Amino acid sequence: MDIKEIKRLVKLMIDNDLTEMNIVDGDQKISLKRGPGEQGRVVMEPAVVQSAPVAQAIQLPAPSEPVAAEESPSSLIDVTSPMVGTFYGSPSPDTDAFVSVGDTISDSTVVCIVEAMKVMNEIKAECSGRVAEICATDAQPVEFGQVLFRLTPD
Amino acid sequence: MFSRILIANRGEVALRIIRACKELGIESVAVYSQADSNASYLHLADERVCIGKAPSVDSYLNIPRIIAAAEITDVEAIHPGYGFLAENAHFLEVCRDCKIEFIGPSLESMMLLGDKIRAKALAKEVDVPMAPDSEGAVESVDDALEIAEQIGYPVAIKAAAGGGGRGIRFAHNAASLKSMYTQAKTEAEIAFNDGTLFMEKCIENFRHVEVQLLGDKHGNVVHLYERDCSVQRRQQKVVEETPAPGLDPGLRDEICASAVRLAKACDYYNAGTVEFMLDDEDNFYFLEVNTRIQVEHPITEMVTGVDLVKWQLRIAAGEKLPFTQDDITTNGVAIECRINAEDPANNFRPSPGHVEAFVAPGGFGVRWDSHVYQGYNIPPTYDSLVGKLIVHQPTRAEAIAGTKRALDEFVIEPTKTTIPLCRRIMSEQKFVDAQWDTKYIEREMLGD
Repeated sequence: MDIKEIKRLVKLMIDNDLTEMNIVDGDQKISLKRGPGEQGRVVMEPAVVQSAPVAQAIQLPAPSEPVAAEESPSSLIDVTSPMVGTFYGSPSPDTDAFVSVGDTISDSTVVCIVEAMKVMNEIKAECSGRVAEICATDAQPVEFGQVLFRLTPD
Repeated sequence: MFSRILIANRGEVALRIIRACKELGIESVAVYSQADSNASYLHLADERVCIGKAPSVDSYLNIPRIIAAAEITDVEAIHPGYGFLAENAHFLEVCRDCKIEFIGPSLESMMLLGDKIRAKALAKEVDVPMAPDSEGAVESVDDALEIAEQIGYPVAIKAAAGGGGRGIRFAHNAASLKSMYTQAKTEAEIAFNDGTLFMEKCIENFRHVEVQLLGDKHGNVVHLYERDCSVQRRQQKVVEETPAPGLDPGLRDEICASAVRLAKACDYYNAGTVEFMLDDEDNFYFLEVNTRIQVEHPITEMVTGVDLVKWQLRIAAGEKLPFTQDDITTNGVAIECRINAEDPANNFRPSPGHVEAFVAPGGFGVRWDSHVYQGYNIPPTYDSLVGKLIVHQPTRAEAIAGTKRALDEFVIEPTKTTIPLCRRIMSEQKFVDAQWDTKYIEREMLGD
């Protein structure tokens, strides 16, 4: 698979607002991922062990606008914002984040703070799983329904 | 002038405000519920913020979420449109406390005029004519019976915290007064959280005539003449027109001047409308004041050439009105038809859903104010207004002819709308002869 083909696939993903694509082509497998605020990754692997192109990471542009009603890949669970306000990933500027990628969480786990009208509201996950993606950054304005985290189910 | 404002509303009025903002170079932030997330007018705003699920209580009536949206988008002011929070004094107060300008009147005048008893007392002070009334709250059923004897039946029992035709009961005699009083009190307590009632002599077969006002923050108030909104169904307006047909010029000036007196007496600024009842002997009686922009404002805009919503923004930003009363003139006749997604053939059952085919009329003197388009999904959760058809022509006969032909050009499928009702009204002899009162539709047209 050459770079022209990879670029074609990347364009296909952006045009159709896809976040993940896995293709097996003969003796090669290519996996592409993109998400807001995260470096998209392109991983190419041989389907069988052979001398093969080295896996490369390609920066993909994020979707043009965070949308309230974005479709997530079927395997991931969305944790969405129940309010309008400003997102904070940790209890205070100098403490650790509430959750990190890879953490296992339950519905009562506090995952972040959304601040509105000077009130810091702790947001619970309301679902359980393993954190796959953190979709918002500190001090980012978020709207109702905006995806804050994506989890892989238990 | 503001650099950025938030619009706390939806649908056609949100679009109306976005248009005014664009023309004034103001950035607009539109809030929306999940039911409105695909509405195309949202993309005409500079930013959009989703504030909640479909129910109004979770979205367009949700003060904390609207204020939070205002904060994260860093707006200087909020335009409440009409309905929803437009006449909510608590919302005004919260805006003020958060240092966000509310595009409307002051808190004090909204509270005064929102209390129908205090509004009437003020109107009396400045010699605005009104129907004989209880002159204050009615304390008990016995009180009500006594007052009814004094002012004469039939009587209207109204909620002091009500408005817009809600929270009213009528009694034609002492026998029915007791139960009507109790019903009115209960409804007022539930709907407005305030069971305070007052009574008025009921004016039968009246015309509804209202006066548009604009006031600035420097004490200037002008009127932009009157509108006749007598064509109603269940106390909701269907057709509005200006000028009020057949109104004696001296009487017109008197009604308009009394509205200005009332506004000045409470230091009113921004847009407002004073409503009156006109009986068949040309007596007019104060009804109430609406402290917001109204649905039917476009007909006043067409005949006066004044963009009321742009003036709301300018006034809120502190600008002085550059015109005096003498500068306000009118030209021609304008008629508005409210088109609702309701089926007149089936008791006006709501007809929400996907609009598969849509063509709006055009041509000389036609203005169509609407957020609806082909492919739009009318949500079932909110009011059923599809749009407003406004026709402006040199004479009333031409305005009626223009309205008929514009109504005939509409294509809206498969949605059922009140276009056939409006079409019929335009052909009713009594409408053409301007011999109409607010009960005409129910009495004469829907009996069949």
